[in-house]
Amino acid sequence: MPAAPAPGSRLRLTALLAPPLLWLTLAYLGSLAILLLSAFWATDSFTSDVVHTWNTDNFHELLTTPVYRTIALRTLSIAVAVTVIDALLALPMAFCMARVAGRRWRRPLLVAVLTPLWAGYLVKAYAWRVMLGEDGVVGAALAPFGLHGPGYGTTAVVIVLAYLWLPYMILPVYAALERLPERMLEASADLGAGAWRTLRSVVLPAVRPAVLAGSVFTFSLSLGDYLTVQIVGGKTQLLGNVIASQVTLDLPMAAALSAVPVVLIVCYLAAVRRAGALDSL
Amino acid sequence: MRKRKTSAWRSAAAVCALLLTAAGCGSGDDDGKGGHAPDQLGKGEGKVNIIAWAGYAEDGSNDPEVDWVHPFEKKTGCQVNTKTAGTSDEMVSLMKTGQYDTVSASGDATLRLIASGDAAPVNTKLVPHYKDIFPALKQQPFNSKDGQMYGIPHGRGANLLMYRTDKVKPAPDSWRAVFDDSARYAGHVTAYDSPIYIADAALYLMRAKPSLGIKNPYALDRKQLDAAVALLKKQHKAVGEYWSDYQKEITAFKGGDSVIGTTWQVIANLTKAEKAPVKAVLPKEGATGWSDTWMVSAKAEHPNCAYKWLDWIVSPKVNAQVAEYFGEAPSNRKACAETSAPDHCATFHADDEKYFQRVHFWTTPIKECLDGRKDATCTDYAQWTRAWTEVKG
Amino acid sequence: MAETETRTRTGTTATRTAVRLEAVTKDFGTVRAVDAVDLTVHEGEFFSLLGPSGSGKTTLLRLVAGFEQPTAGRIELAGQDVTATPPNRRDAHTVFQDYALFPHMTVEQNVAYALTVRGVRKAERLARAREALTTVRLDGFAARRPAELSGGQRQRVALARALVDRPAVLLLDEPLGALDLALRQEMQTELKELQRTTGITFLLVTHDQDEALTMSDRIAVVRDGRIEQTGPPVEVYERPATAFVAGFVGTTNLLRGEAAVRVVGRPGTYSIRPERILLTDPAEPSAVPLVEPEPPADGRRTVTGRITDIVHAGAHTRFTIALPHGDRLTVLRQNLTGLPESARPGCEIGLSWDEKDAFPVPS
Repeated sequence: MPAAPAPGSRLRLTALLAPPLLWLTLAYLGSLAILLLSAFWATDSFTSDVVHTWNTDNFHELLTTPVYRTIALRTLSIAVAVTVIDALLALPMAFCMARVAGRRWRRPLLVAVLTPLWAGYLVKAYAWRVMLGEDGVVGAALAPFGLHGPGYGTTAVVIVLAYLWLPYMILPVYAALERLPERMLEASADLGAGAWRTLRSVVLPAVRPAVLAGSVFTFSLSLGDYLTVQIVGGKTQLLGNVIASQVTLDLPMAAALSAVPVVLIVCYLAAVRRAGALDSL
Repeated sequence: MRKRKTSAWRSAAAVCALLLTAAGCGSGDDDGKGGHAPDQLGKGEGKVNIIAWAGYAEDGSNDPEVDWVHPFEKKTGCQVNTKTAGTSDEMVSLMKTGQYDTVSASGDATLRLIASGDAAPVNTKLVPHYKDIFPALKQQPFNSKDGQMYGIPHGRGANLLMYRTDKVKPAPDSWRAVFDDSARYAGHVTAYDSPIYIADAALYLMRAKPSLGIKNPYALDRKQLDAAVALLKKQHKAVGEYWSDYQKEITAFKGGDSVIGTTWQVIANLTKAEKAPVKAVLPKEGATGWSDTWMVSAKAEHPNCAYKWLDWIVSPKVNAQVAEYFGEAPSNRKACAETSAPDHCATFHADDEKYFQRVHFWTTPIKECLDGRKDATCTDYAQWTRAWTEVKG
Repeated sequence: MAETETRTRTGTTATRTAVRLEAVTKDFGTVRAVDAVDLTVHEGEFFSLLGPSGSGKTTLLRLVAGFEQPTAGRIELAGQDVTATPPNRRDAHTVFQDYALFPHMTVEQNVAYALTVRGVRKAERLARAREALTTVRLDGFAARRPAELSGGQRQRVALARALVDRPAVLLLDEPLGALDLALRQEMQTELKELQRTTGITFLLVTHDQDEALTMSDRIAVVRDGRIEQTGPPVEVYERPATAFVAGFVGTTNLLRGEAAVRVVGRPGTYSIRPERILLTDPAEPSAVPLVEPEPPADGRRTVTGRITDIVHAGAHTRFTIALPHGDRLTVLRQNLTGLPESARPGCEIGLSWDEKDAFPVPS
């Protein structure tokens, strides 16, 4: 049992912790509260000034206008697709890095996976815009097979977002696979399981929390993105775009719209928490 | 333990209350009068923060030959920081931050800025070159209020139809190409990504569907707006992407992702400079367009430099440079003598008021119909915004 | 499964071979972990590989399991060459030192794993898993997770998991290493009992000589990748083939060279087990001076020394006795009665042993 801190040290601890806690409360929770609060205000349609009259019109409009439902569903589907794709890509990649590659190669491979994170977000998105364009390399690479590039649109958004957030999925999965004791795999083989069986019954369950943890990143990042879709999305509209365009015109409506991804992410976190994945974050 | 929890909640509640009152304070000044125009100017503050359309504040970084920012800095000692905005909405929201001194606002932003008090009245006596501005641009409904000017007219022009000459044949002369005939270029049509673009559809409908009775593309009643939205939804099927970032439109046309759609002259020029085979035309229906005004922020931290900029940008030489670079009609009649192309003013109809009657300058749609109808309620900009979201689906 | 059916234990063919290693060598880089080992384990035998850490005994076990491929040599399981067979197709299961239970599965799922993998129907699977759990006395733990079990319970789960489909050979890698002493001793008995009732061949790896001696039918003492001696525990203990075996299996007094001549009375290398030395009162006439050794008539040798240390270790007491010329002998005395007055550090004491108990070992 550690001894109870002396009164002096407790005071010091309080003094030490107060600024970050205050910062957390004010800057983080405070701004979230303000945001949610402003969703109940109105806006002057001409000057775009916020009018502080309490009403629920924004939420009413949000729930009754079909286009918002379409956009929310589209955003959700894209976030889910990106998450699934990233999980499917990250598993074999992380497996190769953690289990197949020699110890000597692990660090360089890890760095290789992380390097794209150091490049600017816009640089990467614009690079994809060039690649996916009408005369881009993607189209050129597919041309010999009689195929067309996806062009700008939903598919392009999914591709680019999956690319952008892939490291966030690989890292936890890699860590989980590296932590997975060799003994587990041996035990499985020893008891008669082939490679696939071991993968399904031992490896996947062991990395499941890591995949879920990674999916928290890929899912929430995809849900909130509005730049990639502007760059490669063609005419695709996501929640992020609508919020971004409304922020300038109708802040309360934008705030109400922002509640949608917030609610989705909270639901997702709750679901993931039930699955026990937050322990590995 | 329990006690600590309650006190934690109490302090959280206190913080919230504090935030609430702080937020409430911001709404105090609703009188909407953006301060007063200064009677005289002081020394320059050494700095000016500008919100401008692409091509309005060139410092040679796009083309070393095109630079009127550095000479200004040299002459006045005011360091220029430029923020390029893609839409009027962006300009309005940037102005609301209070971090900018002056803005090149179009007609769909000016009135909103005046009404919200974000733009200050301008004392035209402090802008010597104001006297040479075309009279037709002075004391207009979009740049003044009760006889008080709220800015200095900059120039005007029309939104054009740009197309790839190698992909679009025959050469289009009507907006029909991007509306009723848009399916021909399915996936490669582009349009301006702003609710104000609804006016382009309305303008087309003025001719294509006279039965709708549209007189002014910014004065649409519910039925007329619905017709425009239906047309835009049809166009949406053929749209490859919308643009509001001019760089994006340049790359799209250069790469062939877009082959036809609305544009500005400056974008057409830059795209041609990138060796893309494009051409921009004013279709026979006329066009929507803009008449821009340099306004001063009511919260300007550098008003003296802002006034110096206002005078500089409408001085004959600079006004001519901007007008030629952007591809618009200058506002200063003396600028016509300074253009490198001697017939620039004629080409862009600088003093041709008849021509500009065919151009419907961007303005903010409001409930009171701008076309003078008293028996109808028109749709306001908020409705346009929602309609635009719906068009894009 | 075809594999399981081919190895029906008839019981009539007395000594069929369960595991055979022929000149098996394993190199890790430049390190030779196993050096041309020949080894035969009979069916139904409890066989232990005993050796210090780093001796290569675990590598031997992993070669049998199939986790490692031999650099040279041949491995047979139940008469079939499995040198190139992957672990999942060898009829042998391993109990790992750290148990390697699957943390995301319940005890029952862990135990049933081998059956699940083989596609055994669920009802049968569960019945057999419960049966295996009963065998290791873990009824009622089926729904728990490994994390909710104690070390001993996990050990039993690991056993049940490896035994559930009755493999031909059970490989145990230091299975009791992580348990405390009392539990270890309890499990030793249990393991032996389990082996006897199931009739499955057990191949155990341990560094603990007590464990090996207690449970095994036969022991192979491993050192530096080679087998020093193979034989039943009594033989290995009583007649160690090498000085290393003598020293490693049990404690011993090893005497060589001059010391052998002085203490044992003959040249060579000799081992005298400490419990074989009797302490006598030095005042007794049978005690003779050590200076001029001569063989006593009754075949017992007696020497005198001085007690330097006494350690009371429960059931027995360990004496360290210094002889003239600096030779030291360790003596174990069963605590059947209390210690005599004269048995105190510094006291002189007589030692005697049967000449036959000083047996020569090749050096």
